[in-house]
Amino acid sequence: MVVDGLVPVRVEKPSTAEEVAGLLRAAAEAGEAIVPVGGGRALGFGNPLERFDVALEMLGLNRVIEMSQGDMTVSVEAGVTVEELNAELAKVGQFVPIDPFNAPGHTVGGVLAAGLSGPLRMRYGSPREFVIGLRVALPDGRLASSGGRVVKNVSGYDLNKLHQGALGSMGVIVAASFKVFPRPLHEVTLEARTRDGWTEAARALELPMPPVALELTSDGRLLVRLAGTRDAVRRMARELGWPEAPDEVWSEHSRRGGRVWARVSVPPGKLREVVETFGERATWWASPGVGVAHWVGDIDAEGVQLARAAAERTGGTLVLIAASVDLKRQVGTWGSPPATLPWMLRLRDAFDPKRTLSPGRYLS
Amino acid sequence: MALPGSVIKQLARIVGDQHVVHSPNDLRIFERDGSITGAVPEAIVLPANRDEVVEVVKLAAKNRIPIVPRGAGTGLSGGAITLRGGIALQLTRMRRIVEIDPIARTATVEPGVVNADLQHAVGRQGLFYAPDPSSQKACTIGGNAAENSGGPHCLYYGVTTNHVIGLEVVFADGSVAWLGGDAPDRVGLDLLGVMVGSEGTLGTITRIKVKLLRLPEAVVTLMAAFPTVDTASHAVSDVIGHGIVPAALEMMDRVTIGAVEAHYRAGYPVDAGAVLLVEVDGLRESCNELAGAIERILHTNEATGLRIAADAEERELLWAGRKGAIGALGRIRPNYYLHDGVVPRTRLPDVLRRVTEIGDHYRLPVANVFHAGDGNLHPNILFDLRDDGVMDQVEKAGEEMLYAVVELGGTLSGEHGIGIEKNAFMPWIYGPDDLDAMLRVKQVFDPTGQLNPGKIFPDPDREPATLRARAGFCSEAQWW
Repeated sequence: MVVDGLVPVRVEKPSTAEEVAGLLRAAAEAGEAIVPVGGGRALGFGNPLERFDVALEMLGLNRVIEMSQGDMTVSVEAGVTVEELNAELAKVGQFVPIDPFNAPGHTVGGVLAAGLSGPLRMRYGSPREFVIGLRVALPDGRLASSGGRVVKNVSGYDLNKLHQGALGSMGVIVAASFKVFPRPLHEVTLEARTRDGWTEAARALELPMPPVALELTSDGRLLVRLAGTRDAVRRMARELGWPEAPDEVWSEHSRRGGRVWARVSVPPGKLREVVETFGERATWWASPGVGVAHWVGDIDAEGVQLARAAAERTGGTLVLIAASVDLKRQVGTWGSPPATLPWMLRLRDAFDPKRTLSPGRYLS
Repeated sequence: MALPGSVIKQLARIVGDQHVVHSPNDLRIFERDGSITGAVPEAIVLPANRDEVVEVVKLAAKNRIPIVPRGAGTGLSGGAITLRGGIALQLTRMRRIVEIDPIARTATVEPGVVNADLQHAVGRQGLFYAPDPSSQKACTIGGNAAENSGGPHCLYYGVTTNHVIGLEVVFADGSVAWLGGDAPDRVGLDLLGVMVGSEGTLGTITRIKVKLLRLPEAVVTLMAAFPTVDTASHAVSDVIGHGIVPAALEMMDRVTIGAVEAHYRAGYPVDAGAVLLVEVDGLRESCNELAGAIERILHTNEATGLRIAADAEERELLWAGRKGAIGALGRIRPNYYLHDGVVPRTRLPDVLRRVTEIGDHYRLPVANVFHAGDGNLHPNILFDLRDDGVMDQVEKAGEEMLYAVVELGGTLSGEHGIGIEKNAFMPWIYGPDDLDAMLRVKQVFDPTGQLNPGKIFPDPDREPATLRARAGFCSEAQWW
């Protein structure tokens, strides 16, 4: 296993939350750097690691802890993959709308820690909106839970939010509970190829029942997913007037990714102007209803800086989900730090005072 | 307790003489919120804008004076109570709707904007703000964000935290920051997510940016009667088990129905054991199909007297009964203690049975009116404060009900917050390590413990007697 050109001194393969906590504590006490690894689908995300002593392979934490069809909740360990989770839920006609790119193989812990989302965010929001509980191992060897297994909960601070997208810098997620959703009563996928994709996309977004997913690609392809009751879906499909496509286009789309891969997140109304800074020959795909675009392929430092400046001018961000160590060193993964960085650093120090967890990657 | 005259003078210099309240009689007006407890603040300060909030917070930090942000005071867990004295920072003068952006579908408001006022303003543009606490005619968006409030329509749409995209916050040291924003992913920790629902213990919210949604094309509201709470609970699970998540799915029990019907004449069947209010919205086609499916499911669950609101007026009336239910309960007893707990939905029949048993044991009438679809129950213990020793009984009964909720896998609060009502019970749902993680966050943002002290976290030194202050009269409050 190599991350950012570094090879760990050893690889640990825990199979319980307690073992994870114990390993974190041992690493902290020894002054080592420990890096959790899930499905390895986003290993290059973040600034280059400063140190890498222990690789913490999380795939051994693979239990479905509790699945309650009637309550529409599910709790799983962090090493369960998104596909495994949804295969379990499919047996009872339910699903969790987590659909990251560079699939398959993301673990639940990995996708939450990396803060990844996909086309279904349009309707369901990012996992932040439906994670109802987390259990996190901390570098002092404690296991801290937040939230619970109920769908509505305001008991204490919502620390579920603190760990999502924190790339493991505040602790290692060992289990998660989700509010799950019933599979739509009826669903249809439509596909259009058009020269003016942005205008067509805008038209789809203004439908009285908006699509649950809408993707636009640099080769002029538009994919839309409509879900609801049969008659409602039919009416929307008619209003849109695009031809039907097989469901498989979504799993194919979800496999997209790249060795050099930038993600732009901006107010949806600004997405087009920022994507245009990628250049005419760029390869990208976007969720115009969300304000996210993914850009892959031949991306250099200058290109990143140009597009990032445009994104940041709108109040948004450009982050590198994958890139060479060189490129990451040149332009950084994250761009301009938020004004609240001092608060974030204090929080990190409260949870990881010895910089045990993936040092260098996240906040610095 | 009183603040030194010099501090009062400085406060007056910041916000103006008429916006500092410090005479003992006037202070009593702010002794209470919507909960059953109270404490008198040392000063009430009404800032006009963010900069004045900053100055007040800095002054308080320098003099080690507690700060308790306060909106409309409708909170039910004591979040706005100045438990340790200090300044009640009353934010209701900051009530401007700063911007409504119909294209981006967002609104930016000051914290004192009343929820219903925002609804009306955005409604004119064909939009709505989803969280709709039953106190929405009075409660403020700032308070909603601080408490992470819910409401009947949160079943489908989600609670406040799912709709707040940005917050301007004044931290304990007087520094100001915007958390979140219009872009979907932020760089750095999700401080916005932590701040929402932190009950004024991490900072003071001075501006809120929320998501707006388009008003649905159609809405259908159904009401159905059931022989028992059990049968109604099964119907709830059955609807959702069929893959239908309605916009709202609310239950009222027999005690509530009787009081509401006497008050509102909404047409609720008074001989029923329970009533369900179900609402679906969306396209006309969806509503018709879903309403039809729901109707069939309810019928197979022993529903009788199923009624569909024929027009907006009838729908409003059905909802008026639901949203005004707590006030109507004043017909039964003058006082109430409204609880808030959440169980996994399928445990509703079990927990409601326990609630009834506990009420019977203490000989206290209990009325249930709640968000059944979410498993979010609101047992209402009815009593007359003039009865000797009744408060003791009420508190014991409430505590036992909450314990039953937790035993069944539930949590202490779904939408009212912890405050000082339930902080002592936090160890029921969180272990020492869980609470320690939360405390680390508190200590980072408020190392001197001046922001809304005594809330959320269990306090080993607390005098139990402080909980037993006067209880509110139903006639004074229409919310729960």
